Amino acid sequence: MENAIDRLIREASRIILGKEHTVRLAIACLLARGHLLVEDLPGVGKTTLAHLLAQLLGLHYQRIQFTSDLLPADIIGNSVYDREEGSFSFHPGPVFSQLVLADEINRATPKAQSALLEAMEEQQVTVDGTSYPLPTPFFVIATQNPAHQIGTFPLPESQLDRFLMRLQLGYPDARSERLLLAGEDRRELLRQVEPCLDLQQLQALQAQVNKVHVADAILDYCQELLSFSRSSPRFNHGLSPRAGLALLRSAKAWALLSGRFQLIPEDVQAVLPATVGHRLHSSSDTGTDEGAALARFLLESVAIT
Amino acid sequence: MAPAARMPLSRVQQYTLLALLTLTALPHLLNVEIRVSLLFLLLAGYRFVAVGRGRLLPGKLILFLITMGALGNVLLLYPILFGKDAGVALLVSMLALKLMEMRVKRDVHILVFIGYFMLITQFLYREDTWLVVYALMMVIALTATLIESNRIHPSAHPLGALKVSLWMLAQSLPLMIMLFIFFPRFSSPLWNLVEQKHSAVTGVTGNISPGSISRLSRSSAVAFRVDFTQQIPPPSQRYWRGPVFSSSDGKNWEADEADELPAGVIKGLNPPIIYSVTLEPTPGRWLYALELPVEIPADAQLRSDYQLLRNTPIRRRIRYDVSSVTDYQTGTLSEEVRTKSLLLPPGISPRMLDLVDSWQQRNGSDSDVVLRALDYFREQPFFYTLYPPPLGESPADQFLFETRRGFCEHYATSFTLLMRIAGIPARMVGGYQGGQVNPLGNYLIVRQSDAHAWSEVWLQGRGWQRVDPTVAVAPERIEQAIDPTLINDVIGAPVLFNLEEGTLYSVLKKLRWGVDALNASWHRWVLGYSKERQLYLMQLLHLGALHGQKLAFAMIAATGLSLLLLTLTLLYRVRSKPDPVYSTYLDFCRRVQRFRGVVRMAHEGPLDFAERVTSKFPELHASVAAITGLYIAIRYGRQDSKSNRRRLKRMIRSFHG
Repeated sequence: MENAIDRLIREASRIILGKEHTVRLAIACLLARGHLLVEDLPGVGKTTLAHLLAQLLGLHYQRIQFTSDLLPADIIGNSVYDREEGSFSFHPGPVFSQLVLADEINRATPKAQSALLEAMEEQQVTVDGTSYPLPTPFFVIATQNPAHQIGTFPLPESQLDRFLMRLQLGYPDARSERLLLAGEDRRELLRQVEPCLDLQQLQALQAQVNKVHVADAILDYCQELLSFSRSSPRFNHGLSPRAGLALLRSAKAWALLSGRFQLIPEDVQAVLPATVGHRLHSSSDTGTDEGAALARFLLESVAIT
Repeated sequence: MAPAARMPLSRVQQYTLLALLTLTALPHLLNVEIRVSLLFLLLAGYRFVAVGRGRLLPGKLILFLITMGALGNVLLLYPILFGKDAGVALLVSMLALKLMEMRVKRDVHILVFIGYFMLITQFLYREDTWLVVYALMMVIALTATLIESNRIHPSAHPLGALKVSLWMLAQSLPLMIMLFIFFPRFSSPLWNLVEQKHSAVTGVTGNISPGSISRLSRSSAVAFRVDFTQQIPPPSQRYWRGPVFSSSDGKNWEADEADELPAGVIKGLNPPIIYSVTLEPTPGRWLYALELPVEIPADAQLRSDYQLLRNTPIRRRIRYDVSSVTDYQTGTLSEEVRTKSLLLPPGISPRMLDLVDSWQQRNGSDSDVVLRALDYFREQPFFYTLYPPPLGESPADQFLFETRRGFCEHYATSFTLLMRIAGIPARMVGGYQGGQVNPLGNYLIVRQSDAHAWSEVWLQGRGWQRVDPTVAVAPERIEQAIDPTLINDVIGAPVLFNLEEGTLYSVLKKLRWGVDALNASWHRWVLGYSKERQLYLMQLLHLGALHGQKLAFAMIAATGLSLLLLTLTLLYRVRSKPDPVYSTYLDFCRRVQRFRGVVRMAHEGPLDFAERVTSKFPELHASVAAITGLYIAIRYGRQDSKSNRRRLKRMIRSFHG
């Protein structure tokens, strides 16, 4: 099983160069059954990452390109009158797949956004009073452009909360960029990628995440982090219990990825910026990239005992 | 965002502060000159209108002019800015002016602290129980305002801050009690300021004329309260001796304060009664004590006529301890006193001489004459009334033979005169008689309505003996007190004693007892905690060596020590006992620091730390990895066992870099 994980990471790193940590986080997010939000400038490889993950996990996936004129029906599907049958029949939308890639989610209107986010929350879609369950596993990888880009509808805090992690890719370092420029076409490479896991293996891994041992000392540490975020004047408001659960779940997946069956403080620290970065807000508005700075502040302020 | 101190105030905050500070200043508005009070009310009222209308607030120049005006106002009223009245007037004016400046959060802090100061200064005027309760309420409310203003967001529940404030006050109680008990007391009050105006003080004076005591009897004001260590003596023994009147001009009787001869020996015939008296301000220097006092307070003298005189006037409430014997024998009579006690004033009528003559014709001793005189009062139609008819030039004669209606002073003066005519040394004693026992506090309240006058005669072989002619006329006067609230205002109306008690009346009476018991405890335990009592308490606690400066240092040391202890316990609670495995691991971290100079950061996990150490010192890889691995297995894994803990300890102890 560990071999599968190692292979997964190795394969991914072959395509996304110099971003091993981010790729591992993305895999951890999926193993923890969480939805992933990738936020960065256009052209740094958000979509490539999403494609890659879908292919590596061997999941059936569809891509929805979010635009400002996207309608909820374009996502969840609609009922069409069938003349031969003499009745309406439901034509499922692209959301009915194991992995949905919601590209540039913040370019659509809030109405279209919430259609997807409701599907994420409920694990089902309701059209004309009939509920249609979504397949399992059901992952959403959404990408979005930074909020200050023109023509975006930023996701409200409550909807950001539905994503287990928010990742930022950032520019590659010089060596990776050199390799990228000199190497083969990424699309070509993507096409060649073979799935590393089948569905059973994925589900077995997800089940193992839940079994990772969490000692009292780790729970103490998590509680210290939560309570510090609630009492420190640096934060506008503290982390919610849901954020705490997300933190623990991601840390367990991270531990499993590292081949450990017990949680250590480093696991929590590794996933904390990605899991709480989009849930923290500074009390004084300092502008961009505050999530990462706040997460670092939080980590450095709470001692491990 | 503006700094917190510059945050503008919300309307609610402004209204709350205005209301609270006006309430805080309210008792003072009665203390200062009316012009200062009016200025305060005017400015506070204007500020009230200006809430939410910022442009109504005066600018710097106008504010400066108003300030000058207010200062001038105070200066005109108190030309030399000295003393509490001037100071308080200035404080009230300045508070009013500060209200005009109330704009931002910083002003809340200043105003609340002025409010605290304001509350303290009110005790320069009075020390009543109600004021304490009022001040406490204001302190809680002001503190709540301060707490609320320091929050970033308003608290969820409007009473949340009030709860915190109340809790803080409760927490400060132990410190307050400690400071109260141990703070060095001064023999005179620290600020000798709480003095009542002489005109307002009522009580028995050194001058008695017909009608002076009956006037007092209409007042229900408390004269003094008495706590007995043992049982309270019966009413017939409760004669509270005050001034002694020896000389008279026929109408008025004067007490002798100038004669400084000390008292002769008093032979007590029963064990002394020990008690302490809380005396309200009185017009003279007399300390009231049961007849006759044997042990007296240090700052008083017992004169030859057994007047107990304090060295200084009694302008504020005092408390003193006395013991008395109710059955006594005084010694021989000096020639000087005998002469003084036989002196007859002008205005002795032949009828009086004849009356005394008729008693003396039947042979008998002096005491027989006394008994015959009392019989005379009993048998003739004398009436006891609070509203006696007015008397002319020779009041004694007129009273004895014509009007025959009078109050205790009429009986006492005429009896004393009759005794002197008979050649028996006699004088008149003023004071109080009786008093009511408060069933809720088990102490005695003596009111002005208990003021009384009686006679004293000197008999061979027995010394001075008390004779109360009023008993002969109205024995119930001695058994039961007069209730001044029930005196019928009709001139000459006879005094009613046994009253029907309605339900409402009894409830009201109980309420009055309750309030008085509360007041008495306040006076006894708080205001009455004097230097002497403190010394006594210190001796009880075997700390008698601590007094004055030493006590002050001891108090500072004790307070400092308890604060230190409190800090340590709080620190200990915050850093609750570290996990034993973790402290073992900390030992490892210290060793790494000592041997290799690598310091583990507080937020650094064990693996990260191990990696950092081994990246610098690859030769340590094996030992560091083994220790870290075991630590993680114990602390974060499922391998916590005694043997593993021991193994970890052993490994760390043998780690020498």
